Amino acid sequence: MAKYILKRLLRSLLTLFIIITIVFSLLRLMPVEGYFQNYEKMTSTQVELGLQKLGLDQPLPVQLLNFYKGLLQGDLGVSNKYHRNVPVLEIIAEKIPVSMSIGLTSLCIALAVGLPLGILMARSTRTRLKIGDKLGTAFVVLIQAVPAAIYYLVIQFFGTSVLHMPLRVSMDQPVTLILPVLSLALGNIAYYAMWLRRYMVDESNKDYVRLARAKGVPAADISRKHIFRNAFVPLVQFIPTSVILTLMGSLYVESLYSIPGMGGLLVTVIQRQDNTVVQALVLFYAAISILGLLVGDILMALVDPRITFGKKGGAR
Amino acid sequence: MPSLRYKDRKTEALSQSVGKTLSRDYKPEEYFEPAPYDPSAGERGSYTNYSYWGSTLRAFFHNPVAVFFLVLLVGMVVFTIIEPLLPYAPEANTIYKGDTNLAPCAQYWFGTNSIGQDLWSQIWSGTRTSLFIGFSVALVEVVMGVIVGVLWGYVRKLDFLLTELYNVFDNVPQTLVVIIISYILRPGVSTMIFAMCLTSWLATARFVRNQVVIIRDRDYNLASRCLGTPAWRIMLKNLLPYLVSILTLRMALAIPAAIGNEVFITYIGLGVPLEVPTLGNLINSGQTFINEPTLNYQLFLPVLILSIVTISFYVVGNAFADAADPKNHVN
Amino acid sequence: MAEDIILSVHDLDVKFTLRGQTLHAIRGISLDVYRGESLAIVGESGSGKSVFTKTFMGLLDANGSITGGSIRYEGQELTQLKSDKDWRAIRGREIAMVMQDPMTSLNPLKTIGAQIEEAVVLHQGLKGQQARQAVLEVLEEVGIDDPQRRYRQYPHEFSGGMRQRVVIAIAVACRPKILICDEPTTALDVTIQAQILQLIRELQKKYDLTTIYITHDLGVVANVADRIAVMYAGDIVEIGRCEEVFYDPRHPYTWALLSSLPQLGVKGQPLYSIAGTPPNLFQEVKGDAFAPRNPQALKIDFVERPPYFDVTPSHRARTWLLDPRAPKVEPPEHIRQLRKQGVNPYV
Repeated sequence: MAKYILKRLLRSLLTLFIIITIVFSLLRLMPVEGYFQNYEKMTSTQVELGLQKLGLDQPLPVQLLNFYKGLLQGDLGVSNKYHRNVPVLEIIAEKIPVSMSIGLTSLCIALAVGLPLGILMARSTRTRLKIGDKLGTAFVVLIQAVPAAIYYLVIQFFGTSVLHMPLRVSMDQPVTLILPVLSLALGNIAYYAMWLRRYMVDESNKDYVRLARAKGVPAADISRKHIFRNAFVPLVQFIPTSVILTLMGSLYVESLYSIPGMGGLLVTVIQRQDNTVVQALVLFYAAISILGLLVGDILMALVDPRITFGKKGGAR
Repeated sequence: MPSLRYKDRKTEALSQSVGKTLSRDYKPEEYFEPAPYDPSAGERGSYTNYSYWGSTLRAFFHNPVAVFFLVLLVGMVVFTIIEPLLPYAPEANTIYKGDTNLAPCAQYWFGTNSIGQDLWSQIWSGTRTSLFIGFSVALVEVVMGVIVGVLWGYVRKLDFLLTELYNVFDNVPQTLVVIIISYILRPGVSTMIFAMCLTSWLATARFVRNQVVIIRDRDYNLASRCLGTPAWRIMLKNLLPYLVSILTLRMALAIPAAIGNEVFITYIGLGVPLEVPTLGNLINSGQTFINEPTLNYQLFLPVLILSIVTISFYVVGNAFADAADPKNHVN
Repeated sequence: MAEDIILSVHDLDVKFTLRGQTLHAIRGISLDVYRGESLAIVGESGSGKSVFTKTFMGLLDANGSITGGSIRYEGQELTQLKSDKDWRAIRGREIAMVMQDPMTSLNPLKTIGAQIEEAVVLHQGLKGQQARQAVLEVLEEVGIDDPQRRYRQYPHEFSGGMRQRVVIAIAVACRPKILICDEPTTALDVTIQAQILQLIRELQKKYDLTTIYITHDLGVVANVADRIAVMYAGDIVEIGRCEEVFYDPRHPYTWALLSSLPQLGVKGQPLYSIAGTPPNLFQEVKGDAFAPRNPQALKIDFVERPPYFDVTPSHRARTWLLDPRAPKVEPPEHIRQLRKQGVNPYV
């Protein structure tokens, strides 16, 4: 088990290293004006001096090495436009808690609503009219088929125009968070409900469930102890995906509701072309995704005994 | 019957023999006489002329919802293509001075926007661009995916390299890739297509690769090979039907995803320049009016069209994938 | 094996609905099962063997239902049972089942011990340490070494034969009176098959079980069965004691089935196979279902369904050939040979 986790961890680190290198190199292809606040008014000597100061006149491998040195010391450079000369890490640090709390809340809500919805749908497939399943499926199809960008807008419209909720979020008024959290949760609710339903239906047709019935286990116990538990296992690997879904959604949602989080920040610095902050944020997001997948795999190994089962220990 | 194929001849012979031996109007007095025996009569009843594609199409067209959305989709796609060719179709970017922010009326069916452009032609032009982006991305995804996937599955030396490559890039969310590429390159339709295509084909390739490996090793294909079936025939009969249905589904889902991504990228400010109408640009500029009841048609009309397009693709794609699943071909 | 009937099926009809069409899977079967016997139900795939036995435990799929007839178990009418709760008094406790594929019939995410314990807790009413002890005992009983260690292992750590032993352990742990073995050896290596059959036989003796084997393997039948029921197209066409069916078969389908045994093939000649395919049960069968494939069919076979004709008190077959008015039709030569030889060639 420990060996598996260690192997998986090393792979993640390697992946992260490759991604950072690629992203960093790609961003060096950019025009240099993103590093200065008033590029238009600067003379070419000024630009050169500025580049020198930032270390951008050096060959790429050296720059990369310097970047890694900085990274290890927790230095991601300074912002050039957004908050001039403020360390990027400082800017991001104050945004993280905001994004985290909103993202995690929406994930919890998604699990709390999506899983029961999936169970209800799966149960309903065994009734004659399958009304619950049909309604649930319609909801899932709608959410999956309409791009998130669109239903975020629709939620915003209904929330603000019809229900007269505030458009701007303020962190000390939880009511104002309802719309963004709901927006973020909706996609994951549909996602969990759909997969849980599918897996539960799949599992309930398996032989071991028949055997459990044949040995006289009550239907409720079969649902709970066998079907749900087994259907939930493959679902674990969707948790990282839904983390990523939430992350990407937060880019849009945070700026829609002017939430002072990382997503809103990325949109702002992209529009203002603040290269160092963009670079840091992109790497940060990539790192979270990789971490998410790592956590997902480890969770998976914890809940499914078959995964770490190697060659030894088994019979024949 | 020289012109009949083997299967047809067999059916023909069957129906004749069945007519002969199974006529049941025996008289009671002859009941205990031996009945004429025709070995092929035993085939009757369970022998069916099963055709994969025939059954798939039949299953698809039995689904009224799917047919409805298919018609809607085909109608919309055809209309966006022929719309500029219709008489009196105004150029999408024409500015009608003084006619700004007009609600839908007889002259401007979808109204005009804040600088006096006709939303009807803007929206259809935008749909055209968005569909173009969607189709291009989906096509690249499938073509690249199949080519790389087949190589990946067949050329064993490539397996390690591509698997490692996949393991790395699969970790990065596609949206992030699109953001970086759009940020680095000059904005435009081709940038957007490039950015979206860059990594999306990996998943398809991976899928195709797995299928190829399965095809190579599955017992029924091994059996088929042992009986001397040529590789191309195995590919055609055993791999293709399955692959086509899944690839169709992937394409059908890639198109709405690309259209949605365009809206998103545009919102971030990395989209196509404003002179080119896209659904993303229209929605983005309409968004300013979200809380102005008299003007929010500028947001809702493009949203409505986009939703119809994406829902249609999603439903049709899924219905087709369901129909293509042999498990749903009972009868 | 006197007249002590434990399970009595009368004129049972089962239908399935598939995409709006009705499939008549069981077409009026009557059968008595005697206490303590081993009954083998043989037939080709799709003949309804599994569906038939599933009705004893209320395990039909949701789209299938009993549309007529009765099943009486120890005087209780099983077709009257509706809810899951009613059936729980039967399932496991009275009738238990061993399924075909041991690779899929165990929950992959639960330990072997937990899965057997479930049955022990439900049907032996034991708890905690006692239940655990019972599990270890039954593991030992089905021939699994080192039960202490095996108790904590997962199904993927067991081989196919071992898993089938676990499945049998689960069935036995329920302390049932009837054990249904649905193709218990089909998915196993030939070398393991005999061991598993031997194990079931031992357990049958030890716990005084009535066993019903479902199989298409006549070798298995010859090994274990007291009586044989031959099924074709949702009906029992011939039933009798093992030696009666093997040495004096009367139904043309039984002849064909026996002729298909590779052991009966003559060197240099192609192996026998039954021409044609079983009838499509979506359509109502008229007359004898086997008639279109039967070279010896009479005209009446296409018109009217044959009743059962008794050959001996324990042996009867559903074929017009046994009618006094029918012409005398001899079974194929090699079938008659079987009797003359008087040896069992199937073992």
